[in-house]
Amino acid sequence: MIGFGRKLLLGAALLGMAGGFAPRQAQAAPPDILIGAVYPLSGNAAPIGHDAQQALETEAAIINGHHDVPMLLGKGGGLPGLGGAHVKLIFADSQNNPQIAQSEAQRLITQDHVVAIIGSYTSATAVTISQICNRYRVPYISAENSAPSLSKQGLTWFFRPSPTDNDFTKAMFDFYAAIGKKTGRPVHSVAIIHENSVFGTDSARIQTAMAKAAGIKVLTDISYQASTPSLSVEAERLRAANADVVMPSSYTSDAILMVHAMHDAGYTPKAIMAQDAGFIDPAFIKAVGPLAEGVMSRSSFSIDAVKTRPAIPAVDALFKAHDNGKELNDLTAREVTALQVLADALNRAKSTKNTALRAALRTTDIPGAETIMPWVGIKFDKTGQNIEGNPVILQYQHGQWRTVFPFAVATAPAIWNVGK
Amino acid sequence: MTASLVAQVAIGGLLMGLVYALVAAGLSLIFGLMDVVNFAHGELLMLAMYAVFEIHAAFGLDPLLQLPLVAALLFGIGVAIYRLLIARALGVRFNTGMVQIFVTFGLSIFLVGAAQLAFGSDFRSIDNGVLSGRTVHLGQIVLPLPQVAAGLVCLLAFAALMAISRTEFGQALEATREDRDAVALIGIDRDRIFSLGWGIGAATVGIAGVMLANFYYISPTVGSNFALIAYVTVALGGFGSLAGALVAGLLIGLVEALTALFIDPSLKQVGVFAIYVAVLMFRPRGLFGRL
Repeated sequence: MIGFGRKLLLGAALLGMAGGFAPRQAQAAPPDILIGAVYPLSGNAAPIGHDAQQALETEAAIINGHHDVPMLLGKGGGLPGLGGAHVKLIFADSQNNPQIAQSEAQRLITQDHVVAIIGSYTSATAVTISQICNRYRVPYISAENSAPSLSKQGLTWFFRPSPTDNDFTKAMFDFYAAIGKKTGRPVHSVAIIHENSVFGTDSARIQTAMAKAAGIKVLTDISYQASTPSLSVEAERLRAANADVVMPSSYTSDAILMVHAMHDAGYTPKAIMAQDAGFIDPAFIKAVGPLAEGVMSRSSFSIDAVKTRPAIPAVDALFKAHDNGKELNDLTAREVTALQVLADALNRAKSTKNTALRAALRTTDIPGAETIMPWVGIKFDKTGQNIEGNPVILQYQHGQWRTVFPFAVATAPAIWNVGK
Repeated sequence: MTASLVAQVAIGGLLMGLVYALVAAGLSLIFGLMDVVNFAHGELLMLAMYAVFEIHAAFGLDPLLQLPLVAALLFGIGVAIYRLLIARALGVRFNTGMVQIFVTFGLSIFLVGAAQLAFGSDFRSIDNGVLSGRTVHLGQIVLPLPQVAAGLVCLLAFAALMAISRTEFGQALEATREDRDAVALIGIDRDRIFSLGWGIGAATVGIAGVMLANFYYISPTVGSNFALIAYVTVALGGFGSLAGALVAGLLIGLVEALTALFIDPSLKQVGVFAIYVAVLMFRPRGLFGRL
């Protein structure tokens, strides 16, 4: 071990010397702008954290490099408003634990002096990160946390370009109404199953309320502890309820278990409408294979909306190069967009001062066509919530995700087995 | 709620319980033998599952056929862990208890990190094994074949462990357990017994890992889902008792499933830990434990 350690040290020293001898640029470039990113890089949600890291690095490469992507700041060459300064990401591992997320965020702010923090996948970690950001008066850009309660904490340094589970759930019920009308086979009942942290609990609460408003019966509402060793009893309860649509809010490992458990119980739900998260994770598709066929999920991204969002192929290709050929998905696309929003605000603020940056974020007004998202645009309300983000419904058909709702932007008709 | 649903859930719980029991058996064996709690036990399970996955991916060998292979591999890993780490930790002159805890705890963190580095953090699963996705129908009760097979193999493994404990080696194990200094006087090589104990303990969890890989996802942190339950199982059944591990595993599987069915799925661990607390209060040595 000692020998290995010495070699490492020697290697590091050599590298340092090489750097020292490298020719210096004639004119000092503006200093890099440091941006913190807190994600689960180890533990159960590590695949998501890893993808997030690659997505953010992809967008940083677009901003700093010369890839000429047809979207806002896609020309590259750094931020013109700050003399061509480059953005530089500093990642911290939350281990998907709210306490660790908090201390890591604090470390990024106090030691690395980042100008803003982007995070964090799970809403439970976003609660602690956003609060610490607020205390230190540093903007927190919530890339893909979807719990609506995050915007209701009274935080003034919180900004979320993505729709929340409120909007997402509304899209699901809009879809039920529309497809019911179209096919004559409406949804009469749903079964809700959710993990019991902030994300799942919030999501289930909204789903229950919206089902009631739509006159749809909730046959069962199952709450379970995330990362449980078995979901077979839960699957049995779903089978017993036999609702028209099963509505899960789950992270990846549980999503895999659940789909396997339902299959093992000999139960094929007529429809599954997932609250994104685990069900949209490429690791889920890889792990359950053909059992993913027909799964529907709300999403804020549609990879096939190339006609109206010309930047998608270029960003997707760059992301693939960063992340072992993985395709952009709902999560990674929102991470790309989060950094784009932050970079745009920095560019317009022409300063890295926190108050100037917040003022710029508050006046954000990006048209949808300048992003890769199918949204109308990005404009924040007083709580820092984007009011122009509209979700879509995707369905996994013949090995790929297709947009099936709203019908106006759909790229394939929904496969609808309810009422058959 | 129909009778067949209750039966289905109960049988499912018992099958899962057999897996819990086998995972716990290896832990119990090592603890009973030398009073060392192996905090890396769940990670041994994870290593076994990755071994199955990688061998399956490379050679297309069905998980079931890999049983002897992976058990032997894990046996070797167990012996290596004893020789390289535990034997040294036992030789420390001060704070021995702490050193033992930190050694296995550190090993667990190391193995999770190493697995993430080597295999990546993605979730894997084997979906084209002989058993994958098949179900057995008993009237209205539907049971997944991989879990039925896992239960059977776990029972066989228990039978093998019981048989081993009756052999001369088993008696040497037992004697070493009772008085590790006295056995040296009658010519038993304590070090050899300990390393074989670690080998068998790891091989046991290896067998559980092979059967789990048939129906469970594989990830660097998969071990922790089972490790906590294994500790409870060992404490419940009595430290060092094989029969105790078996009964406790079955009990935990059953209680977990029935709590989820009759009370609430999010409370299933509450049922398990309620029993645990009760045992600690009224019978601290566990159901089958000897003092």
